[in-house]
Amino acid sequence: MFIRKRRGWEIPESRVTPEHLVFGRRAALGGLALGGAMALANPAPAAEEAFNPGLRNMRYRPGRDVTAERNATTYNNYYEFGTDKGIYRAAERLPLRPWTVQVDGLVDRPREYAIDDLLQAMPIEERVYRLRCVEAWSMVVPWSGFPLKALLDAVGPQSGAKYVRFETAALRGVMPGLRQSWYPWPYVEGCTLEEAANDLSFMVVGAYGKKLLPQNGAPLRVHQPWKYGFKAGKSLVRITLTAERPKSFWEAIQPQEYGFWANINPEVSHPRWSQASERVLGTGERVPTQLFNGYGEFVADLYAGLQQERLWA
Amino acid sequence: MMQAMLRAAFPPALPPGRARPFPFPWRDRAGRFSWLKAATFALLLAPGAWVAWLAAADGLGPEPWKDGLREIGLWAIRLLLLTLAVTPFARLLAWPRLATLRRMIGLGALGYALLHLAMYAANENFRLLHIAGEIALRFYLTIGFVALLAMAALGWTSTDGWVRALGRRWKRLHLLIWPIAALGVFHFFLQSPKSGLWEAVLAAGLLLWLAFWRLLPAGWRANPLALLALAPAAALGAALVEYAWYALGTNLPAAMILAANLDVGFELRPAVWAGLVALAVPAVACLRKIMD
Ligand code: HEM
Repeated sequence: MFIRKRRGWEIPESRVTPEHLVFGRRAALGGLALGGAMALANPAPAAEEAFNPGLRNMRYRPGRDVTAERNATTYNNYYEFGTDKGIYRAAERLPLRPWTVQVDGLVDRPREYAIDDLLQAMPIEERVYRLRCVEAWSMVVPWSGFPLKALLDAVGPQSGAKYVRFETAALRGVMPGLRQSWYPWPYVEGCTLEEAANDLSFMVVGAYGKKLLPQNGAPLRVHQPWKYGFKAGKSLVRITLTAERPKSFWEAIQPQEYGFWANINPEVSHPRWSQASERVLGTGERVPTQLFNGYGEFVADLYAGLQQERLWA
Repeated sequence: MMQAMLRAAFPPALPPGRARPFPFPWRDRAGRFSWLKAATFALLLAPGAWVAWLAAADGLGPEPWKDGLREIGLWAIRLLLLTLAVTPFARLLAWPRLATLRRMIGLGALGYALLHLAMYAANENFRLLHIAGEIALRFYLTIGFVALLAMAALGWTSTDGWVRALGRRWKRLHLLIWPIAALGVFHFFLQSPKSGLWEAVLAAGLLLWLAFWRLLPAGWRANPLALLALAPAAALGAALVEYAWYALGTNLPAAMILAANLDVGFELRPAVWAGLVALAVPAVACLRKIMD
């Protein structure tokens, strides 16, 4: 028997407000409110005006309040800039233009994108995702970006491609963390091709309606919200499709604590703390952590045949 | 024994007319105001006041309990090491009054450690069963808890009454501060290998220096040459602890980290700092001698 499970964002046809109505009205309202406020207050710098955050994709509802922007932009892990959470000032030095992203490996049309060309070429939209850090805190951020699938389609994965490797920037001059030469820089992350092609896999270029800030991974970051935050490599310079599983940064350092899959599971503790609950940044609240960070309906199928893998660390 | 303890805990009333002055921290044994003790007391409160001020001013960030408990934990271990440093300092500076501060600083360390636990409980939203489970389950919390219990026992028996009651056993009991400090530093190492171990390695180096100094034959403890020799010993000890840590706990190239200690053009690594601090000791001791 074929049982089709309805996904979270799928509601009966009859109940759907035609998309263009929803988006049209939201955009109009948003545009009015934003435009009005900006005209009255200080005129925004040219760069911000030029940024297109895209329309909000209503499929993905966080079920929680959006985290205050100040918290999401001042409480970050970015080891290239330092090991504490307050690296946002140091990260300001990251030069964001010119920036190129190389997409290569087992693809039919390898290409080096200037970041602005990439933004032009990709369908930009806004998604409000929950982000769960392995350190048991979480936040909710309206990201702007495009589905990783769109980029994969543009370059054409070859049949031998099994994995996607994300390589992040390693700029000696501006990143003091790199002077600790014993770390396996550059920071590398990875996932399977199926995971990358999943609807949820998102390439982030903006947040809170603005261009992404360096501390959040500007100018381009990958984000798979059903995995712990360290999988979400920041400031990407290279995306490579490979046949071998890439070794990610933390996996290389401490495989017993940080693995390749790193899917969120409240029942599997980190060796040093419980993952059963998480503190929601800036609220003082602690909420139960959900399997796959609550995105199981989108991604659980990916792992059907993989029970022998260490999926949860 | 039991009787002695009771007598110590409830000392006999003094002769009428000579009421015992309440032992406020700023009073000396005779009950007079002491600037030295008052200043020490104020300094001991300062880090806590600073963290409280940050918390009130929204300066601890979006995870105030977590960041606050780490800051307070740092002060607990710093004060514990300072407690252990009082005796060598008093000796090398030929300043015996310094020794009267030891109890207060030790109690300060205990105070910060208790606050540290309370803030951990707050960060876990006071789910007491869960907290007990975590302490039992997570090794780094278990040893922190053991250290804290032992510290509490030392704090409890720190009164004059207990000192008298336990007599020579008091000294032996209070030698527990050494394993406590070692557990505290171990807890420090364990709690976050993901973030830097900088200050943990420094703490290990300083603790080693303090222990080496006690192991010196009593007659050598003020000998400049012996003190000079302790500096590279502390630095080397810290470097080896750091090396062992990375070699056993991570896949990082520990030999490279060990070698980085020699590359002072890169940065002064914590083991090197431990050595430099230790070098300052004979320098200060010599200065003190010249001043006499
Ligand atoms: C029941 C007892 C204790 C508990 C539950 C506890 C809990 C914790 C926790 C949760 C952390 C932070 C881990 C993280 O950053 O993820 C921590 C760090 C720390 N604790 Fe404790 N601790 C205890 C006892 C102690 C004692 C007795 C000392 C010192 C004498 C101490 C000193 C420290 C230090 C130095 C840090 C590191 C702070 C930093 O890296 O910023 N702790 N502890």
